[in-house]
Amino acid sequence: MKKTLVILTRNPLSLIGLILVGLVVLSAVFADFITPFPEHVGAVVDFSNFNKPPQWPNIFGTDLVGRDLFTRVVYAYRISLILGIVVLAIAVPVGVAIGLAAGYLGGWTEYLLMRITDVFLSIPPLVLAMSVMGLLEPTLTNGMIAVTVMWWPWYTRLVYNLARSEREEGYVLAAEVIGASKLHIMFREILPNCVPSILTKMTLDFGFVILIASSLSFLGLGVQPPTPDLGSMVAEGAKYLPDSWWLTVFPGLAILIAVFGFNLIGDALREILGVDQ
Amino acid sequence: MTTPTLKIENLTLGFKTWSGTAKVLHGISLHIKKGERVALVGESGSGKSVTARIVLGMLQQLKSARITGSVEFEGVNLETLKPASRHALRGTRMSMIFQDPTSSLNPVYPIFTQFKEVLERAQPGITNEKARERAISALADVAINEPDRVLDSYAFQLSGGMNQRVMIAMALANNPALLLADEPGTALDVTVQAQTLKLMSALVEKHHTSVLFISHNLGVVREFADRVYVIYKGNIVEQGPTGQLFDDPKHPYTRALLSAVPRITGGGIPDLDDDPSGFTAPLATHDGYSERELLA
Repeated sequence: MKKTLVILTRNPLSLIGLILVGLVVLSAVFADFITPFPEHVGAVVDFSNFNKPPQWPNIFGTDLVGRDLFTRVVYAYRISLILGIVVLAIAVPVGVAIGLAAGYLGGWTEYLLMRITDVFLSIPPLVLAMSVMGLLEPTLTNGMIAVTVMWWPWYTRLVYNLARSEREEGYVLAAEVIGASKLHIMFREILPNCVPSILTKMTLDFGFVILIASSLSFLGLGVQPPTPDLGSMVAEGAKYLPDSWWLTVFPGLAILIAVFGFNLIGDALREILGVDQ
Repeated sequence: MTTPTLKIENLTLGFKTWSGTAKVLHGISLHIKKGERVALVGESGSGKSVTARIVLGMLQQLKSARITGSVEFEGVNLETLKPASRHALRGTRMSMIFQDPTSSLNPVYPIFTQFKEVLERAQPGITNEKARERAISALADVAINEPDRVLDSYAFQLSGGMNQRVMIAMALANNPALLLADEPGTALDVTVQAQTLKLMSALVEKHHTSVLFISHNLGVVREFADRVYVIYKGNIVEQGPTGQLFDDPKHPYTRALLSAVPRITGGGIPDLDDDPSGFTAPLATHDGYSERELLA
């Protein structure tokens, strides 16, 4: 782990990725201390300052009701990160467990589990998430549920294929011979050999989860006002382009930085851990 | 007459496919007495490895496998055992060594973790210190110089020969009654192979372990085994004591097999008889070495 971090800092691209992600995470964690107007997160109205271009102390400008845009972008990061963590924390274990079971046990289990997975994979992700959101109320929790529902099958697919090939390895046979249980073989023998691939995909996915969540709120199906969200900020600001450009550009850049940073780290991890896909 | 460690009688195996059953074993009988080293020799696909898998009970789980005949382990018919008690035998009373030692060890755990898991099979809840102690003495038995360093290494950090010795140490750690050696050393070079087999030989003698030695390498078999069964296309074609069988092969197939061994003095690969019709001739046994006489 420590060695991986050292290698990450050597490669210039992954170093940039680390710095970007570090900035995003730190700003989200310490949002209360670095933002000039923490109270602007909620339903605050300050019409004397509305729609101002970037200037001191509003370095990103202000929005249509006079709230500081920088404050809102930083708090939106916090929400995006929480969403990303929760989605992956649910989707990855579920997807991995199903993939392991299908890949190692084979037979009817494999057919059943993989066909269900295929059904989910055959629906375009955004359409699936939109229909889930359409059925439920548009809130942060339901947004997480929607993204999670569309996310786990990718991990099932990945781990299923890995488990299929690991199943034929000598150490799995050796474990079977000394009488190891199926659960032991799945989780203690095969799973550790899949971790590099899973880890790489998780890092790459983190950016995409943020992007999909933003897309959902851009379409009005995500987090609802007054909670700050990058996607809905872009959507709202887009109506006032090009005059009030800061309303769109800064939240958009914020999404770009986060997604770009996680992707750079993911790519670097892929190389370091020797995952090739 | 004591009960043999392993007694296989009239074992047949077929695999059910879409177009009927493919017969793999046509009723083979063999036995191994306590402390005896018995070799099962044959070409690829002759049914050597599936025999070992049946003894371990790993083919029985396969839905397409059709098995008849009996396999007795220390006088108990394995078919009558409950799955749980059958499972309990694996890794404790019988263990197995494989062809490729490096891939038989999980690359993500150090050797010690895997050694401990083996010891836990026989002694659940063994402490780390105790396991380490036993692992070190087991590794010292297979002539590994720095057992401490090896225990903290990963399989890919050790040489193939070392890994095979680790595998042998693990296989014998729980003092099994029966060791199934499926072409051990095929993945190793000749000198290392000779060393490891010598070690294994000495160890099984010390532990009084019975060995079923599966191989196509006749030179190794001659060194290692007390008795030999020759298997061809799922039939035992000749059986006898190692010396006699090598000096005076009775069955046409055994003769062909022996003449196929490359010799340092000879001129390359010999011309094999293109007519294998004699290979299916009935079982040839050496005097006093038929199943009936040995088990009497």
